[in-house]
Amino acid sequence: MKLRAIAINTFKEAVRNKIYYLLIAFGIVFAFSSRLVSLLTLGDQVRVLKNVGLASINFFSVLIAIFTGINLIYKEIDKKTILNIMSKPISRRDFILGKFLGLSYTLLVALVSMATVFLLFLLISTGDIDWNILVYFCLLYFELLIIISISLVFSSFSTPILSSIFTINLYLIGHVLWTFNEFKTRLVEPITRIIIYLIYYILPNLEKFNLRDQIVSNEKINPMIVLTSILYALVYIAAMLTLAILIFNKREFK
Amino acid sequence: MMSLKLAAAFLILIALGGFLQFSYDSNIDYFAEHDAFVSFPTSKTLKILSFGNTNFVADMLFIWTIQFYSSLHIKNRFDYIENIFNIITDLNPQLRAAYYYGAIIMALEAREFKMAIKLLKKGSRNMKQEWIFDYESGYYAYKYLKDYKLAEEFYLKASRNPEAPSLIKRRRAHMVYVRDDLELALRLWMEIQANAKTQVEKDAAFNHLYQIKFEIETKALGPKINAYKERYGRYPIHLEELKRVGLIESIPKDYLGDEYLYDNKTGKIRAKRMYKWKKLF
Amino acid sequence: MKALEIRDLRKSFRSNFLFKKYEILKAININVEKGQIYGFLGPNGAGKTITIKCILGLLFPDSGQILINNKPATNPEIRQILGFLPEYPFFYDYLTAKEFLHFSAMLFSIPSKKASEVSKKLIKQVGLEGKENIKLKNFSKGMLQRIGFAQALINDPDIVILDEPFSGLDPIGRKELRDIVIALKNSGKTVFFSSHILQDMELIADKVGIIFNGNIIKEGKLSDLVSHSVQYYDVIFSNIDKKKVEANKINFVCRDESYIVRCQDINTMNNIIEFVILNKGKILSVTPIKMTLEDIFLKEIK
Ligand SMILES: Nc1ncnc2c1ncn2[C@@H]1O[C@H](COP(=O)(O)OP(=O)(O)OP(=O)(O)O)[C@@H](O)[C@H]1O
Ligand SMILES: [Mg+2]
Repeated sequence: MKLRAIAINTFKEAVRNKIYYLLIAFGIVFAFSSRLVSLLTLGDQVRVLKNVGLASINFFSVLIAIFTGINLIYKEIDKKTILNIMSKPISRRDFILGKFLGLSYTLLVALVSMATVFLLFLLISTGDIDWNILVYFCLLYFELLIIISISLVFSSFSTPILSSIFTINLYLIGHVLWTFNEFKTRLVEPITRIIIYLIYYILPNLEKFNLRDQIVSNEKINPMIVLTSILYALVYIAAMLTLAILIFNKREFK
Repeated sequence: MMSLKLAAAFLILIALGGFLQFSYDSNIDYFAEHDAFVSFPTSKTLKILSFGNTNFVADMLFIWTIQFYSSLHIKNRFDYIENIFNIITDLNPQLRAAYYYGAIIMALEAREFKMAIKLLKKGSRNMKQEWIFDYESGYYAYKYLKDYKLAEEFYLKASRNPEAPSLIKRRRAHMVYVRDDLELALRLWMEIQANAKTQVEKDAAFNHLYQIKFEIETKALGPKINAYKERYGRYPIHLEELKRVGLIESIPKDYLGDEYLYDNKTGKIRAKRMYKWKKLF
Repeated sequence: MKALEIRDLRKSFRSNFLFKKYEILKAININVEKGQIYGFLGPNGAGKTITIKCILGLLFPDSGQILINNKPATNPEIRQILGFLPEYPFFYDYLTAKEFLHFSAMLFSIPSKKASEVSKKLIKQVGLEGKENIKLKNFSKGMLQRIGFAQALINDPDIVILDEPFSGLDPIGRKELRDIVIALKNSGKTVFFSSHILQDMELIADKVGIIFNGNIIKEGKLSDLVSHSVQYYDVIFSNIDKKKVEANKINFVCRDESYIVRCQDINTMNNIIEFVILNKGKILSVTPIKMTLEDIFLKEIK
């Protein structure tokens, strides 16, 4: 009940902010622009359509995740509304979990609306729907959840500007981390090896949630890999939320 | 107490995450060969979409391209190469590195020499102050296309640039030599010798002149020796004999004024000095 | 039975740069009996808000104990019976008054049907009828104070903690909210409120604690603090010749034919009254002047 109250309120706050709609609208507009771009290229129009469309939805949903995620917690502390909430019989844990649930719901609504419009658009312009795209959106959603759990960790102790810089950096790192596999065999010195391996396994590895290449080139998607990715997402989110609660428990509200 | 529990939970979860990542990695062959799909709007569209930041977009695209072409596991990466570099250099016609490295990738990796030269030509068109593009074109034409005439043209064009190093003139002269215009080559090398400023240049000119003079003279002397053989049924014992029977007017000397070595069993002429001149342009 | 007890509460802050410790609260001891209205009095910057934040678990004390109904206040569940009005009404400005009360009710796990009933009643009680569907960002300071009051009472709390509840209100609003506080007391609730407005204290507080510079310098029932401290008596009389009065070496002030004499103790007052009666004068009034909270306050913090 208390958790739900925080979650619903978080959702309400996000939804009453015009930026949220603006970003969704941009996502949709850019997805539509894939049609335009596909007209400008030669051949492979369907591929271009999917590629550009999925990329724009990806981009804007990540943007929503980062900015609503960081903004909502920080605002709470900055505008001191948190004094009012934390003086009620609600634990810090429930506050963080409630925020997380509210944000996940906010993102779900954003993603579903963009995805629905895009799928309809695809259906109209190509005459059929590649259902693998749903798997793509599903994994994208898990990635978004990881992003907001990370932004919760950062905003539980730092300012929004720093939090967004940290979160964006982790997001970018998360997408190039896999290239580590290319040079890991070259690491010989044991200490650097251990440190770099540790960092590699601790940082969020996000490229696995990006199935765009497979979707666009109509490759088969391995369900085992999708399941491992989802499991990874769940574990990672749990870890981040634990960390956020750990930090938030120590926080004072002046 | 609570904090300890949470910290322990966090560590366990993060370790579990690492383990999942490990099992994920072992299921995936990151470097399996595959095709990539790349599609670009035309450079004109990109120009519009970049909202005035064309140089920035060009830089980004260039960085991405370099990454892309170092991903050796993407089999079809050369399918797009001409298009990509054209777009980059359309967006920023002054991006020197794009012409230079683009041509290197095209030539050395994709073995598309004509394509590389085309890109370099565009570079030299757009950046008139640069001699390096013509110089590179000359090199590809000489080394891979073996089109010495074309190479000479590029070197000639590059050498007209006031910034160009003297090396280019020597390369051109060498092209003239390899395409067997010995008279012109001799003239060019003499010019180079006359204008030489460093010892290296002087040495190079000297070596070339020595060799070219030798080749010109062997070329002239060969038929005379053969004619002598036809007439007398044997090679002349000394070159003196050629002069005596009136086939030549004087006995040629090498560039230092020494006589050539003549083998009367085979009728071949050798120079006294054999320079490793090929290394010294 | 004690509703709220604070023992030896200490709190310091570190300045970020020098890591120097500033002791803000030094040994705060407070005892609030059940059913009392406790006035927490202190000048600006004395540490009232910090103390209250410690009670609510928003700040963590360095040492000391806070007991609510004899249970430690560290457990968030204890706040189920607390109502709190923050010093500045920072509320979600994108919610309407009604939504905000519902949200607050949910944080106490109050079922929504009951929440609507209670919030309707409270909105009426704090005088915001007809404003329930206005967003809080369009509320005035006084209206925010009122809605803050309403949310503090949404869970029918046993103990209500109010930080400067009467600031920013017009005289009518103050009267109304004071009446609510008195009504709370009458229904058996405990109220702990901070203020630096003495008039409010004198009007409603049963017990007062004075905090100054992070110390409780005086704590006691308001009647004890105030009633036994008659400072002097003013005697006013007339119908006596001025020369006669002057001849008796009486210090007086003249006003419209009458004389006002300030007597420091009962004996002098009796002497004066005797003198007036002997000289056939007219006693107009005899007033014992008590010490006000302000006097106590000013005396204590000197
Ligand atoms: N974060 C902080 N770091 C250092 N000192 C602080 C901090 N917060 C408050 N203080 C100091 O603590 C003291 C007490 O502040 P507090 O807000 O409790 O005062 P108050 O009694 O509520 O005053 P007022 O009547 O003005 O509301 C002040 O002197 C203030 O400067
Ligand atoms: Mg205060």
